[in-house]
Amino acid sequence: MAAAGSVKAALQVAEVLETIVSRCMGPEGRQVLCTKPTGEVLLSRDGGRLLQALHLEHPIARVIVACVSSHLKKAGDGAKTFIVLLCHLLRGLHAITEKEKGDLMSENMQTHGKHWKNCCQWKCISQALLTFQTHILDCVMDQYLSRHFLSIFSSSAKERTLCRSSLELLLEAYFCGRVGRNNHKFISQLMCDYFFKCMTCKSGIEIFELIDDYFVELNVGVTGLPVSDSKIIAGLLLHRDFSVYCPADGDIRIVMVTEAIQPPFTTSGSEFFLNSETQFQTSQFWIMERTKAIMKHLCGQNVKLLLSSVKQPDSVVYYAALNGISVVECLSAEEVSFIQRITDLSPFVPQASSQYDISNTALVKFCKPFILRSKRYVHLGLISTCTFIPHCIVLCGPVQGLIEQHENALHGAFKMLRQLYKDLDLSYIRYASDQNETSSTPVSKNRRENDQLVETGNKSIQRPYQDTVVKDKDELEKTQTYLKVYSNLVVSDIELEAYIPCSTPELTSADTFQIDETLRCLSPGEHRIIGDCALLAEGNSIDNSTTQVTKITRKQSMSPVKYNSLDEGTCQSYYSSSIPAGSVLPVGGNFEILLHYYLTNYAKKCQSSEESMVSMLIANALLGIPKILCRYKNGKYSFPHFYLKALRALETNQPMVSSQTGLESVIGKYQLITSVLQCLIKILTIDLIISIKRQPQKVHHQDSEDEL
Amino acid sequence: MSRLEAKKPSLCESEPLTSERVRAALSVLKGIVTSCYGPSGRLKQLHNGLGGYVRTTSQSWALLSNLSVTHPVLKILTASVQNQAACFGDCGLFTAILCCNLIENVQRLALTPAAVIRLNKHLLSLCTDYLKSEACGCRIPVDFSSSRILLCLVRSILTSKPACMLTRKEIDHISALILRAFLFTIPENTEDHIILGKTIIVPLKGQRVMDSIVLPGILIEMSEIQFVRLLPFKKADVLKVALFGMSLSGDFSDTGEGTVMVSRGVSLENAVLDQLLRLGRQLVSDHVDLVLCQKVIHPSLKQFLSTHRVIAIDRVGGTLMEPLCKVTGTQPIGSLDSVSSSSYGSVKNVCPAQCGSKHFLHLIPSEASICSLLLCNRNDTAWDELKLTCQTALHVLQSTLKEPWVLLGGGCTETHLAAYIRHKTHTEPENLLSDDGCTKTELELIAEAFCSALESLAGSLEHDGGETLTDMKYGHCWSVQAGSPAVVSWADLLSQCGCGLHNSQEELSWSFLKSTRHPVAPDTCLPQKATDSAGGLTVDCLTAKLGGLQVAVETANLILDLSYIIQDKN
Repeated sequence: MAAAGSVKAALQVAEVLETIVSRCMGPEGRQVLCTKPTGEVLLSRDGGRLLQALHLEHPIARVIVACVSSHLKKAGDGAKTFIVLLCHLLRGLHAITEKEKGDLMSENMQTHGKHWKNCCQWKCISQALLTFQTHILDCVMDQYLSRHFLSIFSSSAKERTLCRSSLELLLEAYFCGRVGRNNHKFISQLMCDYFFKCMTCKSGIEIFELIDDYFVELNVGVTGLPVSDSKIIAGLLLHRDFSVYCPADGDIRIVMVTEAIQPPFTTSGSEFFLNSETQFQTSQFWIMERTKAIMKHLCGQNVKLLLSSVKQPDSVVYYAALNGISVVECLSAEEVSFIQRITDLSPFVPQASSQYDISNTALVKFCKPFILRSKRYVHLGLISTCTFIPHCIVLCGPVQGLIEQHENALHGAFKMLRQLYKDLDLSYIRYASDQNETSSTPVSKNRRENDQLVETGNKSIQRPYQDTVVKDKDELEKTQTYLKVYSNLVVSDIELEAYIPCSTPELTSADTFQIDETLRCLSPGEHRIIGDCALLAEGNSIDNSTTQVTKITRKQSMSPVKYNSLDEGTCQSYYSSSIPAGSVLPVGGNFEILLHYYLTNYAKKCQSSEESMVSMLIANALLGIPKILCRYKNGKYSFPHFYLKALRALETNQPMVSSQTGLESVIGKYQLITSVLQCLIKILTIDLIISIKRQPQKVHHQDSEDEL
Repeated sequence: MSRLEAKKPSLCESEPLTSERVRAALSVLKGIVTSCYGPSGRLKQLHNGLGGYVRTTSQSWALLSNLSVTHPVLKILTASVQNQAACFGDCGLFTAILCCNLIENVQRLALTPAAVIRLNKHLLSLCTDYLKSEACGCRIPVDFSSSRILLCLVRSILTSKPACMLTRKEIDHISALILRAFLFTIPENTEDHIILGKTIIVPLKGQRVMDSIVLPGILIEMSEIQFVRLLPFKKADVLKVALFGMSLSGDFSDTGEGTVMVSRGVSLENAVLDQLLRLGRQLVSDHVDLVLCQKVIHPSLKQFLSTHRVIAIDRVGGTLMEPLCKVTGTQPIGSLDSVSSSSYGSVKNVCPAQCGSKHFLHLIPSEASICSLLLCNRNDTAWDELKLTCQTALHVLQSTLKEPWVLLGGGCTETHLAAYIRHKTHTEPENLLSDDGCTKTELELIAEAFCSALESLAGSLEHDGGETLTDMKYGHCWSVQAGSPAVVSWADLLSQCGCGLHNSQEELSWSFLKSTRHPVAPDTCLPQKATDSAGGLTVDCLTAKLGGLQVAVETANLILDLSYIIQDKN
């Protein structure tokens, strides 16, 4: 396939996906029914799930789906918007090339057209996109957009406190796009209640991490009941029944075991010689006596409930019943680790000696059977030792497919909130207004050269680089060696700087530490190189600046930090700033219109024609989203009305009036745009698709590709 | 080598409800469920070409679980009905028909799904609010001091399942039995919250229905030989019972993860048997009268126990263990060596019982909420149907205990509700249109579709070509036989309404269900005679019907909201 064809082909694919996805988008979106090969049916409005269910064959489609799912893994939202935006971007690119062809024929060349003809290689455009994404986008976000941000935290107190009404608006808008239209209000209310019930005044982001990790354990689905019967119950529901239930009042002491309490007849790797029948009987008798003694000891320590991750022998259950201890067996590993995390309860190792106290016990407020639709559960009133107060969601629905949809939507909402609770760092270079061309060109040229290398081997360079960082972490203070290391790695630094945003979608959250690490060490390096370009000032000043930057970047929490270069030779400023946690904007395309407006302005001011072209391209593509959201509306609420009103408001510096109530996360939107640009860059850099007819070599290899 | 196949792309179908295939499939399903509905419903014979016996049924659960539907839309519908039926026990067909009717009616209108769904939801909440409110005209409070309404409820359920093949007299007998069985499961001394007991249904096929009985306690089936051996047994005071949850067969399976080396001449079997006999001696010396074991008892131990006049019964099975624990008031023993005396239970008496060809040991508890319902019917398929019906009835009685109300049956609730909604949407449409941008016309169209779905549900009780009418005062449902002479006065032709509350001599006026009527407010106050009249009313369980109504509307909304179907073809 030819290079020029790839945009056309990609556009065709994206348009097909867009038609499917756009029907499920926004508050007016409708449901999609997916069937699995096993015959199960699943209802969904989740774009990611939809794209996966399609099992697309087309290679470009597979690239797109892979990008979407890696974005979803991180942000938990925005799959449908992703496709729509990508499609509009491709459409814009396609239009530019078409126009250019037209221009050629009519011999009426404009300057832009000329430029695009000259560097009409997709790779070139992709580099421009990359520059845009790494610098211009952050700049626009920080300089212009940030003044419109609202926050879900109430600002009165010094500490961040979550404002309930804003959270409600945020969740309602989120569920509007995720669950059926008559349930979104109910589900968002349910989630809001759940959240505030689980939260203590001190809880922060860890509560989302906890819920995200153990979401499966925290909800129970019940089929056959109307959705409105869903409820929240205090405590934890274990998806099994008691082996023995002995009612008890008041606070109940519990212990947890991960092995059989009854000592085994033989242990693995050993041999047991039986010489007589009496020996056998005595050993059996001893086992029984020991079991009895342990259970008696537990009873003596006032333990009333035994949680076991394994199936206990009959005798243990029998003696537990005799001693008035309830038993729950076969807990899953997740349930065990959840209970451990909530109550700090460590597993109990059975020992018969009655002298010592059992230290590792925990208390529960109650422990009783719970019946939901004639299925029995164990209901535990765990007393939490951390900032999370355990509650369970009972989700009801007429069919399993609907319950799963609600479950997924709730899980996604927690992911979204988890992202919202974090600050997002922005860093960009801003040229001073009086800059002269000479000082900036070498940098951009340099960057461009290096950027070309990005595609070839960024990964391979990143690894050794990180290794060096880790190795030299302790020696950061020693600027001499530090400088030496970096001078060897000058090239890779710039590449990395460009690469890091690209790599984020692929890195899972577990890797955040690593990213931090690289980022922290990067900025001095970056500075160092820029210093190089700026005709190297004295070594002293470089040393100074490097140490200073490290200091500043170590204090990660600072918000808007401006760092002006100490080098007198350049007029560039390096900004590192952040989108504060909890930033939101009203829904219904406000973010897109704002960004569109500021990007258009930016493009007008911009000297480089390439930059302004890319900015315009993105600015126009962004409008596609509010267009789809407003597609069923007419009159005052139709898109042209809405758009013009918003523009007028922006020009006269008046607040924008939104037709809808509801909020959405800015960080999510920002991440979405970077992910889409990444995906577009990925598509544009492909010039040839080679189809291989041979069967893939390894089974798991193929699987992993499909499940992307 | 492992099998390797590339995944096939999925099939994506747009706007599934507009396709002719889906419409046809839906109308076939609707035909099947509608023809089963009600006392005069037609039976369906289900047979599998690959084997198994032929089943005759008219119950939704049996019908839909055996029906293999292929289209995903139908799968959603049937799964939802089955879940509803499993959850509430009753009203499965009601849910299925209402859901089909709603989808069909709405499809005829050219409205956007958004408006339809929103309005359907409003109408649903109008219904549920009305049915839960004090002013509801089709709801009767249940008086637990008399058995009248409860008996009506059970009888209505039995009557609506024609595949049980019961005569009038048999229905009376069985409904009395079911009610008695239900009353047995309510514990006598109740504390803060009641835990209901259990009714065990014991099959006895090939007997007359009138031979069915209810007995307190548990019946354990045994062979004739055992039975004969027990016969001289007579003991009238309290018996001591040992209940074992573990095997007493002398097997030794769990040796841990290591290896066991046994020297020549050492017999583990003997060692274990020795242990068993020692246990037997302990049981005898503790004066245990009855040994029950979930699994197998070693023949030697059995022999030993029987020579000491201890009744030993093994292979009781896992399902009986929990009721046995309740009846004997003890936990199963899990140890061979030292059985503490506190782990023995007791029963008031034990007596052998013979019913038909089967022999049982009857454990009579001193006080427990467990009873056995010996259920007889002529053949397998009728017995299965009767068993399902009994379970339904017991379930419904339990829900009625939680929510002590019943709804009028025989289609009267449906027509009454329809009249109420018509009236409400006509008189105060602004309440329903308050928040969202639907127009009054849209509301009228949807309300009409909703009401006619309810009315045709009432109409589908009639299978013999008759007509269904409604009166203009109470909004009840009346049916007239086919081929009636050209009418002079309806009052002479009609006798009673569907639920049996009103008769035709009350100066009422009627009109056909299908004809267009001017909306009138149905009389919402219930006449006094509903609560004290002795006549047999037809009533339905409130919980089940309300749940069915909600599930039906929600499922219909769900199906109407579908924009695509993606079928995985792997």
